[in-house]
Amino acid sequence: MTTTPLTRYDRGMLRLMNDRRGRPLYATAARRRLVVAAHLLLTAAIGGLMAHAHLAEGEPVWALVVTVVLLLPWAVATGAINAATRGLLELRERALDERQSAERARVQARAHRAMTLLLAAGAVVLLAVGAAGGDAPTAYAAPVLIAVLAVHWLMPLWVAGLTAQDEPAEDDGPAA
Amino acid sequence: MSEQVHNRLAVVRAERKVSRQGLAEAVGAHYQTIGYIERGQYNPSLDLALKIARFFELPVEALFSLEPFRPLTDEIYGRKTS
Repeated sequence: MTTTPLTRYDRGMLRLMNDRRGRPLYATAARRRLVVAAHLLLTAAIGGLMAHAHLAEGEPVWALVVTVVLLLPWAVATGAINAATRGLLELRERALDERQSAERARVQARAHRAMTLLLAAGAVVLLAVGAAGGDAPTAYAAPVLIAVLAVHWLMPLWVAGLTAQDEPAEDDGPAA
Repeated sequence: MSEQVHNRLAVVRAERKVSRQGLAEAVGAHYQTIGYIERGQYNPSLDLALKIARFFELPVEALFSLEPFRPLTDEIYGRKTS
């Protein structure tokens, strides 16, 4: 950790992110992959429902209701990934030690590379659809932009969850 | 790119009866970082290595080395050749 003193908010977040009550959810690499996969699916489902609500005729209230219901497991999965990484992306820089800071930089670099590839693929698809279907891309511009924003926001979280390492073996007594 | 740094942290910590959490708090690191150093999965910066050495009141080369450490019993008693 840096020499900058931690604020009350920093200390509270540090305690929260190091709370081990949810450990069964993310104790092994397989479980962490499962949580990240669930988070990805929930994000896609919520995004799809929001796009549907935006594009559909009339007022699709059911889509908004399902979105709100899905937000609860999404928040739980987000919390599990954050706990698995001990708040790697949530804590302020001054609350991280040197290993965590280096890990955060590594995760952000990987997420940036993945986002670049995804954006390139998305641009190619949009251009291809535009060439074939005329105005089709215009109607999807807003949902696509929101999807890009959501993926850009969440990609570091997914990368961090997938690359988190197993906990070192437990301390046995005061000396171990 | 970084070379493996060998360490005797787990042995010294056990001998001094210090928990990972206690050592981590004393040197301003996360307790997982101490665990990763002990497992050889993370090489500490010179700053952190010196802080750990100062905490145990040992020279840094007693805890960290580029060469693998001999077992302490060999160093103290020597190894009998058969």
